[in-house]
Amino acid sequence: MSNSHLFLKSGFPRAPLQNGVGRYICQLQRITLKFCKNNGSSRGMREFIEKQLIDFAKENPGTVVYVKPRRHRTPVIVAEYLNGDREWHNCRNLSKEEITQWITLMKTQNGSSSSLRLRKMWHTDMPSIQGPWTPFTLKNPASNLVIFPNEELSKPLDVEKSATEKLIELFREQRLSEGKLEENRGN
Amino acid sequence: MSFLLKNIVNLPRSGSINQLTSSFRCLSLTSQLSTRHNLNYKPPKIIAKPITPIIPQRSPSEDLKACDNIISKVNNVISEKEEGRLFAVIHLCGKQFKVTSGDIILVEGYWPPTIGDEVRLEKVLLVGGNDFTLIGRPIVDKNLVNVQATIIEKTLTHTKTHFKKKRRKQYMRINFQRSPNTMIRINSIDISGQIQANSLEKDDSTKIY
Repeated sequence: MSNSHLFLKSGFPRAPLQNGVGRYICQLQRITLKFCKNNGSSRGMREFIEKQLIDFAKENPGTVVYVKPRRHRTPVIVAEYLNGDREWHNCRNLSKEEITQWITLMKTQNGSSSSLRLRKMWHTDMPSIQGPWTPFTLKNPASNLVIFPNEELSKPLDVEKSATEKLIELFREQRLSEGKLEENRGN
Repeated sequence: MSFLLKNIVNLPRSGSINQLTSSFRCLSLTSQLSTRHNLNYKPPKIIAKPITPIIPQRSPSEDLKACDNIISKVNNVISEKEEGRLFAVIHLCGKQFKVTSGDIILVEGYWPPTIGDEVRLEKVLLVGGNDFTLIGRPIVDKNLVNVQATIIEKTLTHTKTHFKKKRRKQYMRINFQRSPNTMIRINSIDISGQIQANSLEKDDSTKIY
C-alpha cells in the first residue's frame, strides 16, 4: 500500500451543527442532475430521471432537485450541503442502478468526505467521567505516611523463592506428614 | 574408623565375606554413619518467620452483608438521580467503544442502518457514573441500561491506494478502494430500575449475545 494518503488533509470525526443531538437533519440541500437528451453516455441518467427522480424528490422534501439538460456533454451530479460543501461527480456511461447508488451516497453524507483522512473513530467532549487514572488512584492511603527510603517497599514485587526456602518448605511438609502418620498409628 | 577396624579384625574369626562387605558399606552410607557415630547430631535450627495473611479473612455472611450494603448505596444514588453523567462501554460491530451521551463514534464497513435511524445499543459491557461502576458478565442486563443512538452519516472513506510492485519482474498493480463508514451519535445513557443482587445469578446459558 502506498503512503500517498499521508499527505491528505487529516481530521477527527465531527458532525456539523450538533446534528443528531435533538433531531437529525439531512445535510443535503440541493442536488443538480446535468445530462444530454440524446447522447448515449447519458442513457442511465435519462432512465433514472424518467423512473426514479419523482420518488426521490417526494421522499426527500428537504432537498431541492434541479434537472439541467445540456447538449453533447457528459452527465454529472452536483450536490450542495448545508455547510457549504459542493460535491461534483461524473456519471458518464453509468447505469441507472449505479446512479441511484451515487445519489444515495450524496444524500446520506454530511459534506464531501473524499478529501479527509480520519485519525480517530471516536469523538467526545467528556474524555473522562471518573477522572483520569494516575499511579495513585485506588492506592492505600496509608502509603502517604511511609518514610523513604523504606526497606519493605524497595524490594522487588516478584522475588522468586530461593532453593533454601523451597527445601525448608519441603522439610516442613515432610514433618507434618510424619506427624500425621504417627498420630494415625497412635490411634 | 575404629568401628571399621574392629569389624575387619573380627573378620578372620567369623570367616564370612558378608561381614566384610557390610563393614565397607558403612563408608558409603552416610546416614548410617551419622546415626551410629554422631548420636548427638542435631540439624541446625530453622527459624522461619510466621507468614501473616495480608487479606483479612471474612466469612461469607459478612461478604454478603457488605455486598448488599454497596448495592443499596448504588440504588439510592440511582433513585435520587444523583449518578451524574453516565458512561458505558458498548460492543458494536466487533469493536468496543467507551461512550457518554453526545459522543460520536464511527463504524467501519458495511452496516445496514441508514441516516436518521434511532437505534438502541444493547451490548453494554460496562456502565459507570461518578461514584460507581456496573460491570457486566459479559453484558449488563438489557432491562437495566438503555443506550440510545442516532445514525447521522453514512459515507465512504477517502480513496485508499493499493499499489503492488515486484522488482525486475515487470509486475505492477494499482487498486483504489473506498469502504463505507457510518457515523453514530450517542443520545442518552440511562439506568432504569434498581440493581438486584440476585439478578447476577440468573441462568444466562440460553441467551444469545
